[in-house]
Amino acid sequence: MQNRILVVEDDYSISELICMNLTVAGYEAVPVYEGDGVEKILEESRAFDLALLDVMLPGKDGFELMDVMKIHNVPVIYLTAKSDVGSKIKGLKSGAEDYIVKPFEVLELLVRVEKVLERTGKQRDIISVGEVEINLSEHQVLKNGVQVSLKPLEYDLLVLLAKNKNVAFTRDQLLNQVWGSDYLGETRTIDVHIGQIRKKLDLSDVIKTIPKIGYRLED
Amino acid sequence: MKLSTKISLVTVVTLLLATGIFGAIVIYRTAVYSLEQTIENYEQQVRATSYALGQEMSDNELLTYSEATRKSFINYLLKKYGSNKYIMIKEGQIVCNLTDFELVEKDSGRWTSDDVTHVIQNLEGARILIMGRNIKVEPSGDYQLLMVSDISSMYEDIAKQALLFIGIYLAVALTAAMAVSVMVRRTLRPLKRLQRAAAGISRGELDRRVRVESRDELGMVGTAFNQMAEQVENQVRELEDVSERRKQLLGSLTHELKTPMTSIIGYSDTLLHVKISEDQQKKALVHINSECKRLERLSGKLMNLIGMYDNETVAMEYYPVQKLFKRVEVLEGYHLKEKGMYLVMSCSMGELLMDVDLMESLMVNLIDNAMKACKEGDTIDVIAVGNQIVVRDCGKGIPADEIPKITEAFYMVDKSRSKKAGGIGLGLALCKQIAYLHNARLQIESTEGVGTSIHVIFDDNSRGYEEQDQYK
Repeated sequence: MQNRILVVEDDYSISELICMNLTVAGYEAVPVYEGDGVEKILEESRAFDLALLDVMLPGKDGFELMDVMKIHNVPVIYLTAKSDVGSKIKGLKSGAEDYIVKPFEVLELLVRVEKVLERTGKQRDIISVGEVEINLSEHQVLKNGVQVSLKPLEYDLLVLLAKNKNVAFTRDQLLNQVWGSDYLGETRTIDVHIGQIRKKLDLSDVIKTIPKIGYRLED
Repeated sequence: MKLSTKISLVTVVTLLLATGIFGAIVIYRTAVYSLEQTIENYEQQVRATSYALGQEMSDNELLTYSEATRKSFINYLLKKYGSNKYIMIKEGQIVCNLTDFELVEKDSGRWTSDDVTHVIQNLEGARILIMGRNIKVEPSGDYQLLMVSDISSMYEDIAKQALLFIGIYLAVALTAAMAVSVMVRRTLRPLKRLQRAAAGISRGELDRRVRVESRDELGMVGTAFNQMAEQVENQVRELEDVSERRKQLLGSLTHELKTPMTSIIGYSDTLLHVKISEDQQKKALVHINSECKRLERLSGKLMNLIGMYDNETVAMEYYPVQKLFKRVEVLEGYHLKEKGMYLVMSCSMGELLMDVDLMESLMVNLIDNAMKACKEGDTIDVIAVGNQIVVRDCGKGIPADEIPKITEAFYMVDKSRSKKAGGIGLGLALCKQIAYLHNARLQIESTEGVGTSIHVIFDDNSRGYEEQDQYK
């Protein structure tokens, strides 16, 4: 089942940007454009796994909405143009899981969303990519119901790509996320591991090479 | 050294010196005088005694008798006329000595003068006055009468007096010094306060003032200081105000820039990295496009605003308001038609001192705002009457608590709606600045649901409407 994310952002264009990317990455995004409508939506609709809250909102502002979120047990990531330390501390102290400063990159948004979902235990257990099924809780990869054994780094790489479907990663980003930022190896290592994954799971058409950028796992 | 100490010291020293010298002179004169008096007294005594002795001894045959007789006679005479103070000498030989002293210098011949002479000798701490005179005795020759007297007590008296004087003098001096010091300190107290206030001001406590109690020079300095502090405080507050406003403007500006930036970066990033449908790609491009246009509008308005903050080359001229209205009507005509709204203008104003381009911009901004509040078929009134121009709409109105804030840069009552209508929240800030340059102020009256009227009230730069009044 898809994770449901509430997007509270008054700027129409930014709201659509976030929703578009969340949807493409496999989440269900529900936009709200002002602070006053949030409570109603939380009460009436199905439970949300996460809320992205703009701090400056017409009606109730982001900090005020925190209480409502706590009542409904929805973890919060603040999205704001205020980059000063004071606002960050206020946001995080009030109980937010994370704090994203505008302008942000799509990948940053997605990774932070995913980390928060992971941390709060609301992450999906199973990700399907065509015939391949990744069971995150059991660390297993099945192809047509048959278990395929992957090396740990191959598994991590596959999970990262699958979690952020349709989003292209540069080789450097992949290195950072999977091998860690202190890894001193060559980016070509990525190509070798991608090759292995493609071969073992027959995903050559799904994990695409994007020229000049890197790799992308597409639906 | 502190000024009060300095002044006290100088005053006290001068005072002490003056009174001290004066006192010393007085004491000295007194001493000399009393010594002279004493000597004179003794002189008279000696004169009287010697005269009497002279009388007794002259032609006295007793003197021609034996040595012993003579001595006892003289002894008798001395005891009769004088006392135990006298010594009688004849030719360097002591004839009779009734005193306790011993005459050392017997034959110096110094007492042979017919007038009384005297000498004061210092004998083992005692002052001894010796006074002598020649007595002519016929026929036995000259005798000399000497008087010896201890006058130490007189010196002691003088010394006592001097001591008493010094005592009183010191006591008075001490009291005077204390009084002077207290008075000086009290007089200089305003200076101390002044210094404390100045230090306070330099520490940033700009509301510090000094209490002015006197009308002397120090009081005047205090008053002047207060005036200066007042001026400094005002100017600093003004500067702080200006910089605070600038800071707020910059703060809001960065915030306003971040929103379109977020969209542009986000959408372009999405287009670059994320696989999205062609439809979505197009949407992303539309967003990027419109956000860029927004930035462009923002920069344009901002240039205007900053230009007006710094530029003093505003071209003021007298211009007929009627003509200004015509220009605005032409400018807004297309917009109005497109939205199906009507503009009704009435002008009973003559000429106004204005920068035509800026006033035009002011009018267009106000009318644009009115149009954003109105719906199709509504009418916007523009009236110039008396010393004000009024733009009135019957749109949705502004909530009462928002009115004071709407002329701040980037403030929007209904943010999401204004943005959709293409607003960036600078219009009224711009209008306010233009009005300010024209010695005018904006007055906003609004009732929610009924409409808004914005008055541009000019203080005193219009002319010609008096004549217009006469036509009525």
